Amino acid sequence: MSILDKPQVSSRQIPNPKQSLITRLHMGTGTVVGIIFAALTYYGLKSMYVTYTDKVADPMTQHNNNIILLGAMFAWSIGFLVGIGAFIGPWRWLIGKDLTDEEILYMAGDGQGKKRYYKYCTDHKVVGIQYLVGVMTLLGVGGTMAMMIRTNLARPGAHFVTPTVYNSLVGLHGITMIIAMIIVATGPFGNYIMPIMIGAYDMAFPRLNALSWWVLFTAIPVLCSAWFLGGIPTGWTAYAPLSIQAGPGMNAFLATIIIFAVSTAVAGMNVTTTVVAMRTKGMKWNRVPIFVIGSTISVALAIPAFPTFMAAMVMTSLDRTFNTGFFDANMGGSGWLYSNLFWIMGHPEVYVILIPGVAVLMEIAPVFVRKPLFSYNAAILGFAGIAGLSILVWAHHMYMAGWSPALNGPFMVTTEMISIPTGLLFLVLIGTLWRGKPWMKLPMLSIMAFIWDFLIGGITGIYLSDVPADSYLHGSMFVTAHFHFTLMGAALTGAIGGLAYWYPKMTGRMLNERAGYISFWLVQIGFNVIFFGMFMVGAEGQPRRVVDYAAFYKNSNLVSTIGAYSVGIGMIILLWAIIHSWTKGVVAPMNPWGAKTLEWTVPYPVPLTNFDELPIITSDPYGYGKGK
Amino acid sequence: MADHSAEEMTPTPGERITGFFKRKDVARTTILFFAWTILFIVLGLVFYPKWMPIVMSKEMKSAESIMIWFTVISAPIAGIVLAVTTNAFLDMHRGDTPPPEGPAIRTNGPIVAIWSIGSLLFALVAIVWGLLEVNSQAVAASNDAKSAITVEVTGSQWVWSFNYPAQGIETHDLNLPVGVPVVFNVKSADVNHSFWPVQLGVKIDANAQVTTVTRTTPTMIGPIEVKCAELCGLYHAYMETNGAVMSKSDFNAWVVAQGGHTS
Repeated sequence: MSILDKPQVSSRQIPNPKQSLITRLHMGTGTVVGIIFAALTYYGLKSMYVTYTDKVADPMTQHNNNIILLGAMFAWSIGFLVGIGAFIGPWRWLIGKDLTDEEILYMAGDGQGKKRYYKYCTDHKVVGIQYLVGVMTLLGVGGTMAMMIRTNLARPGAHFVTPTVYNSLVGLHGITMIIAMIIVATGPFGNYIMPIMIGAYDMAFPRLNALSWWVLFTAIPVLCSAWFLGGIPTGWTAYAPLSIQAGPGMNAFLATIIIFAVSTAVAGMNVTTTVVAMRTKGMKWNRVPIFVIGSTISVALAIPAFPTFMAAMVMTSLDRTFNTGFFDANMGGSGWLYSNLFWIMGHPEVYVILIPGVAVLMEIAPVFVRKPLFSYNAAILGFAGIAGLSILVWAHHMYMAGWSPALNGPFMVTTEMISIPTGLLFLVLIGTLWRGKPWMKLPMLSIMAFIWDFLIGGITGIYLSDVPADSYLHGSMFVTAHFHFTLMGAALTGAIGGLAYWYPKMTGRMLNERAGYISFWLVQIGFNVIFFGMFMVGAEGQPRRVVDYAAFYKNSNLVSTIGAYSVGIGMIILLWAIIHSWTKGVVAPMNPWGAKTLEWTVPYPVPLTNFDELPIITSDPYGYGKGK
Repeated sequence: MADHSAEEMTPTPGERITGFFKRKDVARTTILFFAWTILFIVLGLVFYPKWMPIVMSKEMKSAESIMIWFTVISAPIAGIVLAVTTNAFLDMHRGDTPPPEGPAIRTNGPIVAIWSIGSLLFALVAIVWGLLEVNSQAVAASNDAKSAITVEVTGSQWVWSFNYPAQGIETHDLNLPVGVPVVFNVKSADVNHSFWPVQLGVKIDANAQVTTVTRTTPTMIGPIEVKCAELCGLYHAYMETNGAVMSKSDFNAWVVAQGGHTS
């Protein structure tokens, strides 16, 4: 952290390459070392654990296969981190030769241009861009799978893919999108924008920041390897005992989650510490921008939530490797134990996704309406209320599991209560819009779309939280449509609004507006068409996650597929706009929207330490409007 | 959203209220409010009964009425949210320069209070409604316990099997007599499944080694479909079977034809 003591250092000295290993490490060396580690582990374990490839049905063979594959996957992740230099800092500290100031500056990417994006770079702005590219990659992969799912469901009869491939598509689309959506706002904007917004030189733990990204990065090839290992049959929920029975692809899923949970824990601690400890002078809690509050609440909620997911995955791995029987009823275990652990993560997790999306839009709304945020306090209480209640509602996913019917009532009460803080979020947004003349740019359009999508998601959520209605709707396409309205319609719309808003600060260019509008309408109209079709087939009784359906449901399914193509085309246009504008867009002024938060007071490219001198804050950033 | 307009010539509260509703934005928002509210009420009343399968049990009736009436109760809230949003949309500012500064309304105590209490009441209605339904189903279950027939349901990859212990038959079709309470004891031979007789509006997971229970009373004669609502592996989509709710005499005839005995 000595970099923080010396913000004035701007020399471009690069440490002598012969002295420092740091300068020679990057993604490439990471990949090579990762593959070497994985290969050594693979062959090492293979020589210890006998497998008979001609008798794959033999349970011992399956267990041993799982040991070898999981070992190789974790070895890849650790090897990559070794190879990219993640452990150089701790190692040098251990042997008593801490990094020099020059080396620390080098690790922050000082004066390295584009190369720093491929390195273990501690600059929060580099990490933010890395997250942005990572998120777009994941959304692209997950979106492609969604298109394949919808293509298969265009007509009854499963003409496009086999059931095995379909089940894998459903599961991998789910987990890819969940991972992408968890990081979609807090990754790029939480890293790039948030430290500038609170007036800090960097995150509290810059090395951990780089670690959180590169750990996540190592999970991506592991997740992709699921395809080449036969896919996963379980959906993203990975319910036991199906997950224990599943083939080798399941190992990739388990390893991905375990690695991802490490990344979120590191990122969560880093973000919360930064916001608590590094706000600039005068930024009292009631002057913190609402996006920062929302992101902090979101990651703080992830800190207790994800370890249970990780524990569930570790236990599933042990069941699959050493036959521990945690979740196997035939060995005295319980599938319900798994479902509980999963949903104790699973419900907070949806709010981990949702809250930053809403917070982004609340940050945008005052700027484009030129009015103060309506009831900042209600916004905070809304987020806090949702976060608090969200840890008490997990078993509403298990009303129909038969696990504890007597608990259905209490969980129904806590779940319905969430509509109160959620209502406050709506009030804040419409209160800000009231009597304003919204500046109809892309970020503002996202707010309008969010309100509609989240309203539909919210109302349908009220039926689902009610036990007698859920006893009909649970496990149907209706549920799928409901959570896509909340996660995609609300959270992803919020993140896209945030990208349009902060794009000028992150890239120095304006996002192509015309392409942005075309994409917006294609995506929003297509989105509503898809999921209204899905509400309909769900209410008519089509289960979710089915490769095929009765001819009775064919028209609505076709409508959904047409909507999906509209979204697909819209997203490709957005992707084109992002890539094209990055180099060829109109050069952005320092503060194109006339906003009052701190990130708009720094030039592009943002200096290494953001500010020459830290600003002093005297009011909240919502002093818009005239009168009073 | 109280009156913050610049005019200072409305002395009595009555005149203030009429003045408030005469404001252009308030008048337009009010009209939009009624339009959106009515739209949502119509959506709820028309779409769900049209989409959902024929109601063949009390449980199905209660699921459908929750969907319809919760939509209707939510309609005014959706109406306010969408009216304000649409009103703002109609007032949009275009161009490359920011719009003029709006009124600096930071909060409005009464509005926040009314909104919070309103959402609390809304949540309470939903909670009480749900709890009463759950309770009435539980009471009905205990009242009906003696007259109920039992069906042992087993899910296995990827077949449903039904065992009627009192009748001594085992089938893959779920036939039930109308008007007789039925108790489904559900278990799995392998992974989790979820037993879903669609038109009866009930559902329960099938687990290995434990028996889960759900109950219903069919109220109408007609065909039913049984599906699996929990992803259970390769042929999950095809794990379905048919059945029917039939008159008691037809049911007894079917039982005899299957080699069972009527009690």
